Amino acid sequence: MPDVHFLAPRAAAKRLSRRAVLAGFGVVGLGALSACGRTTKMAASPPVDGELESKLNLYSWGDYDNPDLIEAFKDEYDVLVQVDSYGSNEELIAKLSTSRGTSGYDVVVPTGSNIPQMLNHNLLQRLDLSLIPNFAHMDPNFTRQYFDPENEYSICKAWGTTGFVYDTTTIPRDLTSWQDFIDTAQQEAAGTTSLLEDPWEVSAIALAALGYSLNTEDESELEEARAIVVDQLAPNTKAYIGNVATGMIQGSFTLLQAFNGDARQGLSEVPNPDDWKFVFPTPSANLWMDNWSIATGAPHPDSAHAFINQMISPETAVDQLDYIGYPIGTKGLAEAAKQADLSEQDLIFPTQEVLDRLEPSKQTPADQIRTQIYADAQARSGA
Amino acid sequence: MSKKNTFARRTPTDIGLHVWGILVFIYLFIPIAVIIAYSFNTGRVLANFRGFGLDAYIAGLNNDIIISSVVTSLQAAVGAAIVSTVFGTLGGVALARAPKGAWWALGLTGVLALTLVTPEIVDGISFLPWFVTLGVDWGLTPLNNGLVRLIISHAMFSMAIVTFIVRARLAGIDSELEDAAADLGASPWRQFRDITLPIAAPGILAGALMSFTVSLDNTILSSFVQQPGYTPWPVYIFSAVRVALRPEVAAISTVMFLLTLAALAFVAFVLRKAGGSSTEIIKTMAG
Amino acid sequence: MSTSSQPLTDGTAEAASDRRGTEQGGTAASRTRRLSARIFGASAMSFPTWAYALFFFIIPVALVIFYSFGYKPDQFTAVATDQLSFDRYPEALSASFVTTFFATLRISILGTLLCLLIALPFAYWLAIKVSPAHRSLALALVMVPFWTNFLVRTLGWQIMLSPDGFLSQWMQGIGLLDAPLDILYTRAAVQIGVVYNYLPLMILPLFVAIDASGKKLREASYDLGAGKVTTFLRVTLPMAMPGIVSGCLLVFIPLNGDYVTATVLGGASGSMIGQLIANQFNTAQNWALGAAMAMILIIATLAVVGLGFALLWVGQRIAARLGSVPLTDGKV
Repeated sequence: MPDVHFLAPRAAAKRLSRRAVLAGFGVVGLGALSACGRTTKMAASPPVDGELESKLNLYSWGDYDNPDLIEAFKDEYDVLVQVDSYGSNEELIAKLSTSRGTSGYDVVVPTGSNIPQMLNHNLLQRLDLSLIPNFAHMDPNFTRQYFDPENEYSICKAWGTTGFVYDTTTIPRDLTSWQDFIDTAQQEAAGTTSLLEDPWEVSAIALAALGYSLNTEDESELEEARAIVVDQLAPNTKAYIGNVATGMIQGSFTLLQAFNGDARQGLSEVPNPDDWKFVFPTPSANLWMDNWSIATGAPHPDSAHAFINQMISPETAVDQLDYIGYPIGTKGLAEAAKQADLSEQDLIFPTQEVLDRLEPSKQTPADQIRTQIYADAQARSGA
Repeated sequence: MSKKNTFARRTPTDIGLHVWGILVFIYLFIPIAVIIAYSFNTGRVLANFRGFGLDAYIAGLNNDIIISSVVTSLQAAVGAAIVSTVFGTLGGVALARAPKGAWWALGLTGVLALTLVTPEIVDGISFLPWFVTLGVDWGLTPLNNGLVRLIISHAMFSMAIVTFIVRARLAGIDSELEDAAADLGASPWRQFRDITLPIAAPGILAGALMSFTVSLDNTILSSFVQQPGYTPWPVYIFSAVRVALRPEVAAISTVMFLLTLAALAFVAFVLRKAGGSSTEIIKTMAG
Repeated sequence: MSTSSQPLTDGTAEAASDRRGTEQGGTAASRTRRLSARIFGASAMSFPTWAYALFFFIIPVALVIFYSFGYKPDQFTAVATDQLSFDRYPEALSASFVTTFFATLRISILGTLLCLLIALPFAYWLAIKVSPAHRSLALALVMVPFWTNFLVRTLGWQIMLSPDGFLSQWMQGIGLLDAPLDILYTRAAVQIGVVYNYLPLMILPLFVAIDASGKKLREASYDLGAGKVTTFLRVTLPMAMPGIVSGCLLVFIPLNGDYVTATVLGGASGSMIGQLIANQFNTAQNWALGAAMAMILIIATLAVVGLGFALLWVGQRIAARLGSVPLTDGKV
C-alpha cells in the first residue's frame, strides 16, 4: 500500500481531538451553561459477558445483506435484528459522533478509507476476535489492510470497484476507458448520462481520463479535472444517483457510472439484460472495501460479535454474494460461485489484470476541493 | 342581468368549474391509485411490474421492522399531537389575549414563525447534539429514548401551527364573554375551562389533526434524531428509496390508506351524531 | 365591574382583581384569586410555550447559527469556533450556490403560482358550486392524500412518469406519442410533483376565505347590476385575498427549503438549495459553511416574502384608487 499520509501525527491528533471536544460535538456554546460540558464523554458499551442480548441494531448501507441470512440469525439465536441504512460514510460518521455513544447502533459498516478518521474520534470499539472464529476463513488478501493492520477494529464485509454500464442499442460502439465515457456522455448519451452521488467518484472519472492519480492532492490537477467534470460531464448529466439498478429499470438512462455489484443487480432486473454492457474502464478506478465494525457504546456487544461471525461464515458466503453482488472476502469464494453457477460472474470478480490497475480511495484534505467540484457540477446540471 | 336563479342555472362557467373540480380530484388521487395498483406486484422492485399477487401484503404484514416502524410513527404522531396541542393552545390563547404591542407576544410570534422558516436540516443538525448534551451530560435520561426525541422534535415543529390556528380561532371572538363571566364571579380557571376552551375547541382539534399529519410525514428531522428500534415509517421509506423500493412498502401504504378512510368515516359518523360539523373543523384548520 | 367595555387584557384582568381585592379587604380568598388571575393572565399563559420554544428551538438553533461564524479547521472536524468571523458568508455565496438558489426560487415561485392557479377555481367551486351536503366529504377528500406518506406519493408519480411506465406505453399505444415519454428527471416532472405535494395547503385557506365571503354579498352585487366577472373581480377576489396570502405563504416557505420531492423526480434538474445545505452537513462535513448557507436561505426566504407583501401593498393601493369608481362600472 502507498504511504498513509492522512493518518495525523501523534501531536496533531491530540490537537484534533481537543478541537473536536471544543467544537465538533456541539457543546462549545454551552460552556457558559455547563462547565462540565467540555469533555468528549462517550457513553460506554456494556462488557462482553458471553450472554447474547435479545436485540441487535445494524446500521448499514441500504439493502446490503441477504434478508434470509438475517432471518436465519434471528431464528438461530432468538435475537431481534433492527436494520437502518445510510447513504454515505459521512452520514454514518455524523450520526455516531454527534450522538457520542448513544446512537444505539451495534454493528456498522464503514468503508476502509474512513476507518482511520473514525478511530481518531473513538467511534469504533475493539473487536474480540475470539468471539469471531470464522475470521480464520477470511482470504488473507482482504485482511490486514492499511487502515487496520491487525484487524483490531474491522473485518472485510465486501469489496468492489467502480466502472460504467451502457445501453448498446443507443451506443453501438465498444467503450473501454473513462475517456470513452466522457466522449459518449457528450454525444450519444448526452442528457441520458448518470453519475454516482459521490464527490470522490465523480472527480475520479476526469482524473483517470487525464492519467493522474485518483487520490491526487495537486490543485492544478484537480483544476483540470474540474473543467472536465463541470463543462463536459455536468451539462449532459440527467441525474446523480446512488444505486444504478433503479436508473436502469426506469429506462431514462443510457450511460451510467456504477459500482460493479449494483450494475449486476440492475442487469438481473431489466427486461433486456443483453442490451446492457458493463465496463471495468482503463486506466484505473476505485478499489473499495466495506468493513464490519462495532460502534463505541454498542448496547448489545455479544450479539454484535455473534452476528458478524455468522455473516462471514463460509457456508453462507455464496448466498450473501448472490444477493448483494459483491464478494465478501472469504477464501475460495470465486470457485464456490462458479460451482453455484451464479449469473454475471465476470462482474463480481474482476480479472487479475483489472485488479492490478485499481487504486483504493483515500481521504485527503483535497476532498474539500472534490466536494466543491461536485457541488458546482450539480449546480451546472440543474441550471 | 337578472338576479334570480343565478346559482341554479348551469352556465358554461358552471360546467367548466365542475369539470375542473373533478380533474383536480383525479390529479390528487392518481399517484395513490398507482401505488395501490403496484402493491399487487409480485416482483422484487416496486417499479418493475412482474406479475399480479398478494405476496407483498403477506411479506409486508409479516415484516417486524415495517410493522414496528409504522407503530413508532403512529406513537410519535399521537404524542407530538398531544404535546404540541397543549403548548400550542396555551400559546394561542395567550397571543389572542395579548395587549397590543406586548413584547412577549411579538417575540413569541416571531420565534414561532422562525420555526416554520428554518430548513429542517438545520433543526436536525442542532437537535441531535443538544439531546445528547441533555441526556448524557446533564443526565436527563428520558431524552436518550428515541420515541421521546421524536415526540419532542415533532411537537416543536407543529407547536407553531397549533398556536396560530388557535389564535386565529379566538381572534374573531369577543372577549366580552369572558368579562361577563368574570363579572358573574367565575374564577379565571372556570372562565378558561367553560368559555375560552369551548370557543377554541374546533381550532384545537384542527391543530391536533394538523400536527398529527405533519408528524406522520416528517422525514429529514426524524432521520437525524431517530434511534434504532424507533425508526419512523417515513425514515424507513427514505432509506428504502435509496436502494430500490420494494412492493411491501406500497402494500403497507395501501393498508394504511384504507384504515385512514375507515377512520375518517368513523369520525364523520361521530361528528354527525354529536352535531358538530366537519366542515367547521377543516375550515378552522386552514386558519 | 365597570371595565367590561374595555378589551380583556391581562393588565385589566389583574387590575380588576386588584380592585376586587381592595373591595373585599385582602382576605385569603382574594389572594388566591389574584394568584389565579396572574396564572391565567395572558403573559403567564404564554410561559410554557416560550419555555418549550426556548429549550427546544432557540438554544439548539442558536448554536448552529453560532457555528456559521466558525470555520472548518481540517478534514476530520466538522466545525471549530475558536476564531470567529463573517468569512463563511461570502464563501457561502459561491457561484454554484447563487445559481442553485435562483433555480430553487424559480421552482418555488412557479410552484406557488401553479398551486394558486389550480386551487382558485377549485376552491371557488368547492365553496360555491358544491352543495353543502357534499362539501364536508369533498373537503375530506382533499385531505386524504395527505395521510399517505409524501415519499410514497412522489414515487407513485415517478412510476407514472417513467419512460418504461404504463402511462408512456399506453400513450404510445393509442398513438399519442411516437417515442417513450421523456418527462421523468426534467423540470416539468419537478413542477408536477411539488405542485401536487403542496396543493392542499393552498386549497384549504382559499376555500375558507371564499366561503367566508358570503353568498349574500355576491347576491347583493348581482342586485346592484354587476355581472359575474365584475362580481368575481370586485367582491369574491378581494374577500379571498387573506386566503390567497396565507395559502401562498403556506406553500412558498416550506417549498423553498424542500428538496426531497425535487430530487426524486427531477434528478439533476431538480437540484435545490436545501440539498446543497444538506450536502454541507451530511457529505462535506462543513458545518460552519452549511450553517452560513442556511442563514442566507432563511434571510432570503423572508426577503422574498417581504417583497411579495410590498407588491401586494402597492397593488392594493392601486386597486383602492381604481375602487373609487362605482361598482357598476360599464356593466349596466
